[in-house]
Amino acid sequence: MLRNSEFTVPNAYQYNQSRTWRWILSHVLRYWHFALISVVSYVVGWIAFAQARVVIGQAVEVMLSPDVSGTLLNIALLVFILLATDGLCMLLGSLMAENVAVRFETDARQELYISLLGKSKTFHDRQRVGDIMARATDDTQQLSNMIVPGTTLLLEVVLGFVVPIAFIASVNLELIIAPVLFVVAYIVAVRVYLRKLNPAVKGQREHFGKMNAGLEETISGIEVVKASAREMFERMKFRHSARVVRNYFVQQGEIEARYLPLLLYGITVGLTFLHTMWIYQQGRIGFADIIAVMGLIAILRFPTFISVFALSLFQQGIVASERILKIVRTETDLDENAQGYNQSLQGSITFEDVSFSYGQKPVLDRVSLTVEPGQTIAIVGQTGSGKSALTQLVNRTYDATTGRVLIDGIDVRDWNLDALRSQIAKIEQDIFLFSRTLAENIAFGAPDATREQIEDAARMAQAHDFIMTFADGYDTVVGERGMTLSGGQRQRIALARAFLSNPRILILDDSTSAVDSATEDQIQQAIQQARTGRTTLLITHRLSQIRWADQILVLDQGQAVAYGTHDELLRRSPHYRRIFARYDAVLPPLETDALQPV
Amino acid sequence: MGFLMDGLDAEAYDRTYSDGDLVKRILSYFRKQSRKMFIAAIAIVCIAALDTSLPIFISWSLDALQQDLSVERMILIAVGLTVLASLSWVGNLVRQTFSAQAIGDVVLNMREDACDAVLKRDLSFYDTFPSGKIVSRVTSDTQTFSQVMVLTMDLLSRILLVVFLIGYLFTVSVPLTLLVMALAPFIIVAALAFRAIARLTVTRSRRMNAVVSSHIQETVSGIGVAKTFRREPVIYAEFEEVNNQSRWVNLRARYVFSSIFPILNVLAGVGTGALVYYGGLNVRAGDLTAGDWYLFIQGVILFWFPLTSIASFWSQFQLGLAAGERVFALIDAESRVVQNNDVQLEHIRGEIRFDQVDFRYNDNQQVFENFSLTIQPGETLALVGHTGSGKSSITKLIARFYEFQGGKITLDGVDVRDLDLSHYRAQVGFVTQSPFLFDGTVMENIRYGNPDAVDAEVLEVARKVGGGDWINSLPDGLNSDVGERGGSLSIGQRQIIALARVLLQNPSIVILDEATASVDPLTEALIQEGLDLVLEGRTAIVVAHRLSTIRHADRIIVLQQGAIIEEGSHEMLLVAGGHYAELYNTYFRHQSLEYIEQEQVGPS
Repeated sequence: MLRNSEFTVPNAYQYNQSRTWRWILSHVLRYWHFALISVVSYVVGWIAFAQARVVIGQAVEVMLSPDVSGTLLNIALLVFILLATDGLCMLLGSLMAENVAVRFETDARQELYISLLGKSKTFHDRQRVGDIMARATDDTQQLSNMIVPGTTLLLEVVLGFVVPIAFIASVNLELIIAPVLFVVAYIVAVRVYLRKLNPAVKGQREHFGKMNAGLEETISGIEVVKASAREMFERMKFRHSARVVRNYFVQQGEIEARYLPLLLYGITVGLTFLHTMWIYQQGRIGFADIIAVMGLIAILRFPTFISVFALSLFQQGIVASERILKIVRTETDLDENAQGYNQSLQGSITFEDVSFSYGQKPVLDRVSLTVEPGQTIAIVGQTGSGKSALTQLVNRTYDATTGRVLIDGIDVRDWNLDALRSQIAKIEQDIFLFSRTLAENIAFGAPDATREQIEDAARMAQAHDFIMTFADGYDTVVGERGMTLSGGQRQRIALARAFLSNPRILILDDSTSAVDSATEDQIQQAIQQARTGRTTLLITHRLSQIRWADQILVLDQGQAVAYGTHDELLRRSPHYRRIFARYDAVLPPLETDALQPV
Repeated sequence: MGFLMDGLDAEAYDRTYSDGDLVKRILSYFRKQSRKMFIAAIAIVCIAALDTSLPIFISWSLDALQQDLSVERMILIAVGLTVLASLSWVGNLVRQTFSAQAIGDVVLNMREDACDAVLKRDLSFYDTFPSGKIVSRVTSDTQTFSQVMVLTMDLLSRILLVVFLIGYLFTVSVPLTLLVMALAPFIIVAALAFRAIARLTVTRSRRMNAVVSSHIQETVSGIGVAKTFRREPVIYAEFEEVNNQSRWVNLRARYVFSSIFPILNVLAGVGTGALVYYGGLNVRAGDLTAGDWYLFIQGVILFWFPLTSIASFWSQFQLGLAAGERVFALIDAESRVVQNNDVQLEHIRGEIRFDQVDFRYNDNQQVFENFSLTIQPGETLALVGHTGSGKSSITKLIARFYEFQGGKITLDGVDVRDLDLSHYRAQVGFVTQSPFLFDGTVMENIRYGNPDAVDAEVLEVARKVGGGDWINSLPDGLNSDVGERGGSLSIGQRQIIALARVLLQNPSIVILDEATASVDPLTEALIQEGLDLVLEGRTAIVVAHRLSTIRHADRIIVLQQGAIIEEGSHEMLLVAGGHYAELYNTYFRHQSLEYIEQEQVGPS
């Protein structure tokens, strides 16, 4: 159970995570007293319910033989008490089971949450938020549904077969032949039924999803559809998928219509009746027993038709458990390296023949590069050229496949991970702000910062002015009352955050949407301020930032095809010249022979 | 027991149908399935009759047993019982099969009608209503409707069973039947009271779940920041509090759900106890046979289940009707596109005239009043202005996405309302601001504008844009999957594909709403090169956001509140120092070479 984890909760309850069913069991058994009371209640309830049928049989005996009316009243009261006991036991049983169910759900969510906090950034970078959300909300809800009504109904199915049959056996052992044969045939029939039904249900769900997604796409792209005059095509596409859904719907209906166990049940009732009459004729049982047996056999109808529903809930719960466990069990592949190099960082970065593949896909191909402390390197390349991957190797979001990345001459893998990351700030393209005040967001890395320090940082990031335009200023809560920040504003808040934490290396993925010229001025100034005195890796769309970077690296499909200053690249790199060609700028002649390997 | 309260928000096109109209409308769909419905209906009656006769048959048999018990009679009884049960099973098979077919077809027809209706709308409809809500009317509301119809069919035979059984029981013993029926109000009241409480707790627990979800969502989205700054313990403490709270709220909601059936069971126990006693007295008095008495006992059970379902059914039935109503409202909403003729122009020169056009999106938002403009064949016209000045409206009117209210728009002198819409639109290439790609390959997406093009033609066009460099950066070349809405590609790549799509369509008129999203400089260069190709030799109307696009336009029109306030070339207007110069300083200055070349100095 030893797993690398970046976060643990002391004294947290330990669940058995080795196998799915063990995990479920360890959760349920944590509340074994609730579970036990629940099971006992259900058993008692079912016994009372079956006993009521027997007493009703006895009532006939009493009625037919002249007796005092008091006995009849007693029997009627007994029937009521038994049925009431049944009802109350069911109530107790399901309430106790609900306790287990809801606790299972919340405990599992908590367990998952702790494990998520313990996972590395690498893990989270690779995982889609939507997937994790589905685990934490939908799947955990499936868990409680697996207990109630899933497991409780399954328990009732078992009791609903076993208890009446046991009571029939107590009337006359021979009489259980037909019911027992029925249960065997029933199990076979249900398996066959499910094997047929499952594909139809799955198909319908899948194609309903497709139909939905298809129409959603058509409507989202309606401008293109109409502009291309393709309405007819889209219409036929929808009609086709709607028809497929219809066919699955009908197929499911037809399979459900042929639910064999109910027919088997009907035959069983006939056979049991025949058998009962036979034994009655021989005088081995009384008339009351016939009534009792018929009453008991009627009970079997309930488990017969409810079992499929109970099974499906149970199965869904198992699948959900597997999905949750898969996340919990995932290993974090980078370790903390707590014994590693732990010094204050100077800021030189060296790539030595670095290649990197993401799965099977090569991303970077033998890149070598040296950055002096305090230099700004602009990285230019098309999407997929490996720009982001290059920066991710620096803070060890990933490790190079071959070659080495050195910081201050030390391989990043030999650094203490905490020391390394705390001295490198990364501002992503998608900047996330928490639903807290702007001041708290800026001071996220330095909770002790004073208001003056926060404001200073904001000023340096050119964020102070727009923050003051909000009614609540620094106390404005992000996301509240529709308060949203533009990409450019978010970026400046993130820069302010970086000013407070004061890293030696700054990685800036600056790809915000187009803004007006005044905002552009401010962002340029903020970036300028941020990169002063820091080693900066800059992925940017802003030509002026590229133009004035100390060095520019041009990446093309993972290879470094050019490296140098603006003026050098204008002379040497056809890629780089292309960028400036459309500005009608006067370009120096291309020195084709001067293409030097980098 | 579904409380399907989601997605009930009203939309502007919603109308209220009287219950009568609604039922008539629904029936008109079912009428097409009359044969299947007829068979299903017969099956329903048969099942109810068989299921009623089964317990009655048992009660007769019990009485018969007490008198004479020959082997033949025993076998007769057993066979009779088995046959009744089997027939009922067969009846149910017929009912379910045919009603599944009928409902399946009805829903299919409704979906087709709804989809057709949606596709006929002009774009103002899509602007007003979010795509998710439109889709949910076509797919989910019809789904709800079908579920309720299935439920109705299921319930019909059960209700009928109750009616038949009650009818028979009255002939046996009126007082005892009344005793059984006396139970009904209690069950219904209990079920309704339960619903009221359940709705309250469910709303609460749903709200609580939303809180938990949003907390987790925020944590997972911001985990990078939290980790960098080691704030996990604080976040965890917050989560624990919310999670614990959700435990109690959910537990309470589930308690309510779990209580209803046990409580109803106790109620049924009262009824059964009373029947045992009073029925027993009747038997003893000789007014009732033992078999009849047993029938009444069974009757309570047969009675009980349908009653609880009926109590909860009514609200579900209303939800089904409401879902149907929403679908019909969508089908019946009126389209605003006006089409007078279907002229197909052979050779389009591309002269577009706006002649005193009046246009508004809705009643209180006038966009154009007496707007006139002539666009010469082959001209590249750039539209600039602040948001809401009417730039996009001009392009959307030309594309016939919206209807104008007054004046005239002509193409080569022909009223656009006289043109065949499909044929006309095939001649107009439209590049939207955020390029939309369909799930599929790059090749399929380029071909969307011209489905008849062969692979070689697509490839040729793709190579033209930016010299084809961009194709190499795709994992599988033109056969690469673009992912949902082009999600696997960068924004720049999507723009290039959108341009290639128009190139392949080869229209006479190009409308371009230039993207505002910034892309990497290399891709930007490719896009610009592609743009030159698309605009060349065509009448082009461009809503411009790029300085370089504006500078290369033949004519710039500056719009303000639906009126042209300046026009001319870039240099000319800049020198004039009017509105254009102001716009330039606000939006375009930082895109100029001078700005790029000017060395930045940090704030001193």
